[in-house]
Amino acid sequence: DSHVQYERVGADVTMKCGSMDWDAAVTWTANGTDIDESHLNGSYLILKNVDLSQSGQYSCYEGSSWHLKYQTYLRVGTPPKEPVLMCRSNNYPKGFYCSWHLPTPTYIPNSFNISVIHGTKDMVCEKDAIPKNRCHIRYLQLFSTVKYKVTLTVTNPLGKNFTTLTFDEFAIVKPDPPESVVAKPVPNNPRRLEVSWQNPSSWPDPESFPLKFFLRYRPLILDQWQHVELSDGTSHTITDAYAGKEYIIQVAAKDNDIGTWSDWSVAVHATPWTEEPKHLTTEAQIAETTSASTSSFMAPPTTKICDKGAVVGSGAMAVCWTAGLVMAAYSVLFI
Amino acid sequence: MAAADSPSAALRRDLCSRGIRLAGKMRADVADLLDAYVEQQGLDPSASVAAMDGVPLAAVERWDEQTGTQRLLENLAAYRAFRALLAQMLEEQREQLGEADAGLGRALAAVLLQVSAFAYHLEELLRLESRGIPGEEEEEEEDGPPPLPRLSLFEQKLRGLGVLRELAQWALRSVRDLRQLAKPSPAPGTAPGLADSP
Repeated sequence: DSHVQYERVGADVTMKCGSMDWDAAVTWTANGTDIDESHLNGSYLILKNVDLSQSGQYSCYEGSSWHLKYQTYLRVGTPPKEPVLMCRSNNYPKGFYCSWHLPTPTYIPNSFNISVIHGTKDMVCEKDAIPKNRCHIRYLQLFSTVKYKVTLTVTNPLGKNFTTLTFDEFAIVKPDPPESVVAKPVPNNPRRLEVSWQNPSSWPDPESFPLKFFLRYRPLILDQWQHVELSDGTSHTITDAYAGKEYIIQVAAKDNDIGTWSDWSVAVHATPWTEEPKHLTTEAQIAETTSASTSSFMAPPTTKICDKGAVVGSGAMAVCWTAGLVMAAYSVLFI
Repeated sequence: MAAADSPSAALRRDLCSRGIRLAGKMRADVADLLDAYVEQQGLDPSASVAAMDGVPLAAVERWDEQTGTQRLLENLAAYRAFRALLAQMLEEQREQLGEADAGLGRALAAVLLQVSAFAYHLEELLRLESRGIPGEEEEEEEDGPPPLPRLSLFEQKLRGLGVLRELAQWALRSVRDLRQLAKPSPAPGTAPGLADSP
């Protein structure tokens, strides 16, 4: 005779050995291991202040014959706390979904029942296969001022609990983040970055229910974000980027008229365009191009390797010197 | 698309765009008015108000299947009703409070003006499509509009709450309806926005 027995953490549990008399000689095992007689009161097994580790299979055998007289699976757990329920429409105006979870585990099986009422009308929330703690509802009406009332009840063998959400159709609208965010430098523009993105694929009709967007960006070296709100279009050019600095960029979306902002999109990184560094001419190359004659020495024309105003890469030192000085030094040697 | 470039299509898009802006502004003002009304009247903002006779409900089933004409006609009927309801609210407000709450009265009057303007805008859209503009029921009566039922002060306040809530939803619905109407038509005679069949 085998069954499952559910007990609360901290409870005192008494197990009877089936129909055996109190004074019968029995042996109890837990998961195949003999239980010490100190836990017995006659043929009854006494477990005080049970904890989770005491879950398992308990078996009772008649003393001499070792016939199995009773078997139970003890599951130690807790009654459910108030569940956490969330409802959201990421595909307005098609419908909305509700998802839930327990704030703390119960360690025993739970069942969930959800009811949705719109005015006086019961609506069916169809459970998703994956994930299991979610169901979805199609809007049968739009633009209703009547609130939706969603009640989630969680039940397990040790108790039950519930929570209720009441909301307006438009209050739970929250799109998914924009997709395919791309940021690119703009050629020959050291302070610009071109950002583009797409509407979330879950938003069914962006033409009739347009989204607006919020873009944020900052250089990696700074903590403060710049923000731009865009009422239409799925692209934007940043024009005030710091030259040469890598940026992190994200976009969020919201229905133009109702609801709340989506979460931020996946972050993308981009660095504005920078000019290619110019080649530096070496001292040896300058020496090769000048005349080597000592009898008819002619001072070569002065060659400046670089102008003062030129920038040769970032971090490189600009070196300006006159080749004539070097040749003058050679001239002195040969006189 | 040839239909999208025709003068009437361009005019329709223009009227729809202006209508969307009107409706958007109206919605924002109604939202502010609703907040002020709830506070001034001492109402619970979360109070549920049952549907009342004469208050047009914005809720609609199969909204996406409506034709353009249906959208315009339902919108027009609603805003004409709101015009009468807001006028009565304004009258009741003056009777109850006199000059004590001129701010609320002014806000009501401003919204009433916007509702009237929007109703006229809808009539323009209907005219554009050579649709007959339905006469207002009140004008057909020789003795004027039928009197609205006399309510207690509390009932008046609740009805006012219901009126403003539905008007806010209608303003939102009108924005969506006009966006549908503004969509370019695939070919003349088969306009999804204003065809008689979905």
